Amino acid sequence: MALRIDREKNEIAALKAVTSWRGKRVLEIGCGGGRLTRRLASLGPQIDALDPQQNLIDFARLELPKSYASRVEFNVGKSSRLQFPKDTFDIAVFAWSL
Amino acid sequence: MVHALHQARRVLKDGGYLLDLRPAPLHRRIGIEQDGKYEQLIVMKEDFVDDYAANRAVKEVIDAGLLKLIRRTRFDCTRRMDRFSDFKTWLDEYVSMGKVRGAEELLETVKQGMRSRKGKRRIVILGPIDLRVLVKQ
Repeated sequence: MALRIDREKNEIAALKAVTSWRGKRVLEIGCGGGRLTRRLASLGPQIDALDPQQNLIDFARLELPKSYASRVEFNVGKSSRLQFPKDTFDIAVFAWSL
Repeated sequence: MVHALHQARRVLKDGGYLLDLRPAPLHRRIGIEQDGKYEQLIVMKEDFVDDYAANRAVKEVIDAGLLKLIRRTRFDCTRRMDRFSDFKTWLDEYVSMGKVRGAEELLETVKQGMRSRKGKRRIVILGPIDLRVLVKQ
């Protein structure tokens, strides 16, 4: 499907205005196919991206540029049961998923 | 939703940010873009029950003193599609979630909108996004 979202890049501009992302530890909840994940990765954080759907996680892994591979990890997971210790992340993003 | 917020708060460091990014509860506008100009065709009739529930969940954790709202931003987010089939696929997902009424009228209006124009044109969906920035207390 030829779908282009936010060509104006308003979304990433709004996220950049929140804080500095470089070097931060980020949890993305509801990453889907990784569209926002890739944009966030361009800002330099370490990202754990979760989605409950395996097929979307598979797609997200395929679409991730190799240059981001060392900083982005996709996993199947649910927001109701996060398998991380407390006090792990600097930023948690509910990406169109709350 | 409240439980998910509690879970996210648990894994955040003290002073960490929780970002709630989702479409604003406003009916999306659909039109055609051609030669740099946008013409609106129709406004979607959407169900915002889930959006209001999410807003209440966020308010609940704020009122409980667990998170503090420090910023709220709204910005435009435009979707562009080259083909009617792309639009139908996109709309089908919302219909399957029960979030849209009058899907047949939407499809017919957009189909006619594309057919009535020659040359390069695309379907454009306009709808703002809300970003809430909260800090772990």
